Amino acid sequence: MHRLLSLGLLAATVRVAYAQPDPIPVGPELPTEEPQPEPEPEPAAEGPSDEFGPLLLIERIEIGGNTATQDEIIERALPITVGDVLRASDKRLADARFKILALGYFREVTLAMQKGSARGKVILRVDVVERGTIVLNRLWFGTTTLSPYWFGADLTERNLFGLGVAIGGGIVYASHGNVDGSRNQWAGELRAADASLLGTRLGLNGALTLVHGSEAYRVAGDDTDPGAGELLAFPYRRFGGRTNLTYDVTALTRLSASMRIEAIKADLPVAPTRMLPDGRIVAIDLHLEPDNSTVTTIGFTYDRDTRPDPILPHSGYHIGFSAELGAAFSDYQFATLFGRYEHYWGLFDDKHAIAIKLAAGVVVGDAPRFDRIHVADVDRMLTPRALGLVLSAAEPLDILGTRSDKPTYGDLGGSATVEYAIQLWRGKGRNRVYGGDAFFGVGLWGLAETADLRARDASLGSSLPLDIYIDAGVRLDTDIGIFELTVANGLGRLR
Amino acid sequence: MRVWVIALVMLLAVPARADDEQVEQHTMRFIEKGDHLTISTGALAKLFDSKAYRALSSGFTSTVVIRIWIYPKDSSKPVAFVLVRRSVVYDVWDEAFDLQLDEPTGRKRVREKRQADALKRLTSIELLPVALLAKITVKQIYALAMHVELNPVSKETLAEVRRWLSQGTGGGLDRGGAFFGSFVSVFVNPKIPAADRVLKIRSQPFYRPGP
Repeated sequence: MHRLLSLGLLAATVRVAYAQPDPIPVGPELPTEEPQPEPEPEPAAEGPSDEFGPLLLIERIEIGGNTATQDEIIERALPITVGDVLRASDKRLADARFKILALGYFREVTLAMQKGSARGKVILRVDVVERGTIVLNRLWFGTTTLSPYWFGADLTERNLFGLGVAIGGGIVYASHGNVDGSRNQWAGELRAADASLLGTRLGLNGALTLVHGSEAYRVAGDDTDPGAGELLAFPYRRFGGRTNLTYDVTALTRLSASMRIEAIKADLPVAPTRMLPDGRIVAIDLHLEPDNSTVTTIGFTYDRDTRPDPILPHSGYHIGFSAELGAAFSDYQFATLFGRYEHYWGLFDDKHAIAIKLAAGVVVGDAPRFDRIHVADVDRMLTPRALGLVLSAAEPLDILGTRSDKPTYGDLGGSATVEYAIQLWRGKGRNRVYGGDAFFGVGLWGLAETADLRARDASLGSSLPLDIYIDAGVRLDTDIGIFELTVANGLGRLR
Repeated sequence: MRVWVIALVMLLAVPARADDEQVEQHTMRFIEKGDHLTISTGALAKLFDSKAYRALSSGFTSTVVIRIWIYPKDSSKPVAFVLVRRSVVYDVWDEAFDLQLDEPTGRKRVREKRQADALKRLTSIELLPVALLAKITVKQIYALAMHVELNPVSKETLAEVRRWLSQGTGGGLDRGGAFFGSFVSVFVNPKIPAADRVLKIRSQPFYRPGP
């Protein structure tokens, strides 16, 4: 439409006061980029003096078009209520449409005012067009030596019975390979969430997870040996739940406090050992209590996300911290601290973007194996865990030639990435695609066991288990979802 | 299966290029008036489609933000910049349109009875001062760039509307991995644009003749 309209230009009768220089060609020799303005004088922040238009009293709010979502959910989202007196240009009225869209339940929201019962009184009419609220969060599939095939999916219904409550879950199944002691693995999770309890800034969510798995560990050979013959596995079972109380400090900032209770049953070998390539035999710590054990934790999370577009970000930042503490009645006394920071800067009129992405975590104390940092958490070129299941025993690619025996689990890890994105196109979704970016990123990752760093027989530099990863691909934002096609993602399904 | 889905999406993406915003070329009038260079153009007439035109009488504010730069040929460093902000709201009881016009000459509030007149107030550019003449060197060739937005949305609001995408619905036992990871989702995914409509306009090259 936009393009058609641009063709339908007003054939303006041009009365040239300034001669058009001839033979200067029009267009091609002008700068192709929009000129970069000097710091521009934005209009003063809107205040009472900026408001104009009639003074109104909201007499009634009428809602239409919602067949599943309850009126109350929409009314709660509105920044105004019946009885409010405000100018027609009040910012709350301007924001009203976006507050409803931010629920994520509607494709379109249209607002209009009608005359009320007396002069100055108005009826606010809200018409919505609902959309499907089932989200396919994740698809798992792939093949590795450890697990010849695995598959699974994670779904959420974000607006159950129109109540504004989300319910969802995932299930994943993985067949076992030739590792002695391994078994077919599966895991399932059920979740429920209410992001706004009774319309307040408080929210509550919870999840129940059951994991029936087996963990492989190396008993001999070199870490780079991909074969299953020098691995053993032990079976385990995890069942537990986590509940989070959230508080939206602002629309972009959320605090949450959590509690977790988990029961673990692990059939551990009596005294697991590993024969090193030089013939020495060393004990292995599998970081689990034998037989039955319990994990209870309390946690705290801070999250702030200012990216205008979280899918194809070209500006803004995302910062998050999470702390968890092994609490009373736990067989594991430990603490974890995770942090991440991503910042995006637009370049060339926001058509390109450069980003730094930092993520790090530290685990202190006697943390269970599953709470430690897995190498696939920090190296994007490895198969990520699915609902806690480890699906590959592949070692990370040794690109820098640093320490070869990088740990599979560590208590100190992180990654630092620089990413450059180039806008392929942007649209309004008329052709089902809102936009696409090509990106290239290179990152440094590291994962260590602090005990290894303390007791070492080499310099700190050569003992640090650092390496790099490279990723490149395409991100697409479409009206049926978000897709990321990357080299690292491909590698993570096949190794 | 996922590969097929991605291939399909990429196939659909190809025609989406045509959906991108293009810079349009418009011929404008440049007139000296007092100490200022002024412009007149009808380039904004197509800013409003029928839906946007109907929304003028909704009782909610419609806003047009116009940014104008003048820059020398072969340069992207502007010598002048002007910001114009025009808003209108319909008074359902008086059945009139109240306008607030923030222009280089100052703020004006006017009232129009007819919707077409309100639209004209929002979109007409007649003798709009865009630069001090002292900034325009005689016989130097310049061009004018204009960026027009209908109902622009702040970055904060855009972030708020799509925030649910990155918030998720809480995690289970496997939080460490999720904390480092990224996400890919499939769902019905409406997205609001940064403005209801955007026009990017460039004038013909012009110069200021000597005395």
